[in-house]
Amino acid sequence: MHRFLRLSILIAGMFIAVGSYAADAVPPITTADDLGPQIEQPIEFPHNRHAGMHNPADDADPSKPATGGMEMNCMYCHTYARRSMVAGIPPLRKCIGCHQNIESVRETPRIKKLFEYWEAKKAVPWKKVHDLPDFVRFNHERHVQRFAFQQGKPVQEACGYCHGDVKTLVVGRRQKPLTMGWCAECHQKDHLVDATSTKTTHGPNDCFTCHK
Amino acid sequence: MIENIFDETTSHSTKRADNARQVAGYNRRDFLKTLGWGGAAVALSGCGNTSIENGKETVVSYVEPTDYQIPSIGVYYNSTCAQCDAGCNIEGRVREGRVLKLEGNPGSSINRGKMCGLGQAGVQAHYNPDRIHEPMLNGQPITWDKALDLIKEKTNGVKGEEIAFLTGGVSGHVKVLLSNYLEALGSKNHYAYEAVSPAVVRAANKKAYGVEMPRLHLDKAKVIVSFGADFLGAWVSPVHFSQQYAQFRKGNRPEGRGVLVQIESKMTLTGANADRWIPIRPGTEGILALGIINVLGTRVPADAAAVAKDYTADRVSKDTGVPAEQITGLAELLEAHSPSLVLVGGAAEGYAHGSQNAAAIALLNQVLGNVGKTVEAPANVQFAQITPTTGNRAALQALNDSMAQDKFKVLFSYGANPVYTAPATLKFQDNLKKVPFKVAFAHYLDETALEADLVLPLDSALEDWGTSIPEYQVEPHLSIQQPLMENLYPGTRGIGDILLSLLKQRRADEYKAYEDFYSYLRGAVVQNKAALGGASADDDTFWNDTLGNALVKLPGTAGSFPVRKSAVGLVLPAPAAVVGAYPLRLIPSVSASMRDGRHANLSWLQESPDPLTTVVWDSWVEIHPKTAAKLGIVEGDIVEVASKNGSVKSQAYLFPGLHPDAISMPLGYGHEAMGRYAKDTGVNVFKILDPVFDKETGELAINETNVRISKIGKRVVIVKEEGPNGGSQLGRKKIAVKVSSDKVDLSKEV
Repeated sequence: MHRFLRLSILIAGMFIAVGSYAADAVPPITTADDLGPQIEQPIEFPHNRHAGMHNPADDADPSKPATGGMEMNCMYCHTYARRSMVAGIPPLRKCIGCHQNIESVRETPRIKKLFEYWEAKKAVPWKKVHDLPDFVRFNHERHVQRFAFQQGKPVQEACGYCHGDVKTLVVGRRQKPLTMGWCAECHQKDHLVDATSTKTTHGPNDCFTCHK
Repeated sequence: MIENIFDETTSHSTKRADNARQVAGYNRRDFLKTLGWGGAAVALSGCGNTSIENGKETVVSYVEPTDYQIPSIGVYYNSTCAQCDAGCNIEGRVREGRVLKLEGNPGSSINRGKMCGLGQAGVQAHYNPDRIHEPMLNGQPITWDKALDLIKEKTNGVKGEEIAFLTGGVSGHVKVLLSNYLEALGSKNHYAYEAVSPAVVRAANKKAYGVEMPRLHLDKAKVIVSFGADFLGAWVSPVHFSQQYAQFRKGNRPEGRGVLVQIESKMTLTGANADRWIPIRPGTEGILALGIINVLGTRVPADAAAVAKDYTADRVSKDTGVPAEQITGLAELLEAHSPSLVLVGGAAEGYAHGSQNAAAIALLNQVLGNVGKTVEAPANVQFAQITPTTGNRAALQALNDSMAQDKFKVLFSYGANPVYTAPATLKFQDNLKKVPFKVAFAHYLDETALEADLVLPLDSALEDWGTSIPEYQVEPHLSIQQPLMENLYPGTRGIGDILLSLLKQRRADEYKAYEDFYSYLRGAVVQNKAALGGASADDDTFWNDTLGNALVKLPGTAGSFPVRKSAVGLVLPAPAAVVGAYPLRLIPSVSASMRDGRHANLSWLQESPDPLTTVVWDSWVEIHPKTAAKLGIVEGDIVEVASKNGSVKSQAYLFPGLHPDAISMPLGYGHEAMGRYAKDTGVNVFKILDPVFDKETGELAINETNVRISKIGKRVVIVKEEGPNGGSQLGRKKIAVKVSSDKVDLSKEV
């Protein structure tokens, strides 16, 4: 009897151990897109509705229905990305600023919930989607300035290098591995210095750039 | 059959019991064992790999952002440091509404953009986990309204003279409100108490120069002779003096590189930086000063020469233990390099004849012609009601006596912790118990707050409004203290706000215009904008500029010294004879970070090594190696230091920077309360001090305690930074043999 108990507890313990190890394990480094977990958010924010294309997805075939997006610039809401190390989450006032004037969706469940937070003057408890380990420093400002402003890439493309094609998503989900190998892969490539120049340079490859 | 049944039952029950025992045995040991291994495996897999929290951690955004606030970008606000009385002007880095780091304010004439370690730890005082969060009556939470009503009720039934207010040094508008409140109560009992303060020097300066704190020019002196003034460590305004000292040491200034001579019984940080450090027999500093005047002979004014007539180099040498040729040498050095500067600090003043010591040393400054050159009069400042009230130890004695005679019914205490800092012989704690109603305004539940009936929690210095005028400043200005962030705890209040609420209980009409202390402060500053140099600006602009700089210049006229008084009548007692049973002199040391122990609960300060011994997180007993050899003491021996009035036990540290007749222990350790880091860390030296007082000022003479030391037979590894391989931090054994740097073979090291 007790042998059986002992064994079963040991086995159960090991299962939990291996399971928790597997759950926390670093995702494998691949060059392919690597989806993060689907995360449930307090409000199902539709990125596709805000940033998606207004016109048909396929220009060649205008008969396809419009996708109904508003083609908003990422930086309209994620306003800190070009100014700061962290992109920040848009303040609630940003959402309300527009939505108080959009009567047509005022009574939909998601917007009602949004206004509940606003009236209670409480921040929406969004869950983190893109988190890096504490020993990694990633600077949004450097990347946005370099690609969106100096090179003049379309903003959605510049953001999309790391965040994927957000305009097609509803709730944000990690699209890339965000591992060191994956970062370094892009840092080794040659990128144009700016929009007009033919000179190229690669990203910094010093350990201290990110690990400090 | 019956037997059979009985048997069966028995055997059955035995089996069950066996089973139970086995299961129980399993539960107790094997179960825990297997669970432990399983748990360890879970724990191992849980940590180490990653700290990624996506999907788990919440990111909180602003509901309504402030225009200039960008996440991760710091905003800087100017304010004033409240960690010590130097009152440096600071600027704090605030990010996402949290203050993260403090720096000096470059616009300040006190600290010119620099800051000390004690000041840096101000952030920790603010985020300290042991701060009090809500008002408490006899240990039970109470609302602010009830607390203030209770004060009203208790102060109503008693006469004005039965109410006393104990504080540390105060200045600025808090001082105004405080005196107005006392006036409204009809009380004149304001006791300003500082456990460690240059009160004797102030009194001696007042006599010698006519001002308590003349302005010193270390940077203009060619030679500085300092009698125990630790101006680089903990004396008066260390950051200011450190900068002057840096100028003093520059070889390319017109006067050339200055020479510093430090004379003291226990080496201070300043002593360690001196060109010449002279150990002197405790208490004979004044004799040495007169000895130097004696050597100068006829080259000094007649009255000074007359006072020093009997202090020949030989006699002084015998009294002080300083060789005669060194005394002559000092006199020649000072005479040849004018202007010089002679300082008198804590080490020389802490005696029964401290005032005479200080007077003799001030006389030396005068006869050397330094007054007017390196010693200047401070400017006279208007607005006497906000100028600083400095604290001293005589106030404690006076308060204690009155309490012992049951004179007080209500006692307020703010910014002082006398239950911790009073010597045991004063029986301060017992006398305090005689006061029926005690109110403590406190940040922590320190020893004094624990004795109080009502404890009112204060905002931290980084949350509160205030103004201050430091006692020592070159250009007179009013420093503004403003909140760098919102209150951490909703239940704390600023001292100004509390005093204003209390005043409204008494003089509602007078103060009804002021909703809170902020509006009072703004009103007071803006009202005087013409005098403060803002005559042409409108109120808002002037106030915003004032807050932006967090300081505003005060109008003042250049000060001047009155005519020098004659030194006739200055007599110094012969050095005290060694008492048989207590052969050693205890010199309590004031360290730059611990001071009088008010910041003992800041772990950064506990963790930062003492500059001279590198000891952390504990008290220690500095013993001269010769004395230690005589007593058979080695480093790490736990020794008992016993005075007539008590004893403490701590670790021995052999230190050559001492007069062999003296031992030294740091003040500030050994709290019985106050918080997790302060409590039971080290021992409290204040407690064993003998009740000896300076004869002129009534100050407690902290260097007048004679002790004996004895081993108790225990030995520890001292936790310190010093020594090869980083010493024995955390008691770790040395991990590598020391090799001279040119012979390092890295392949063998790794």
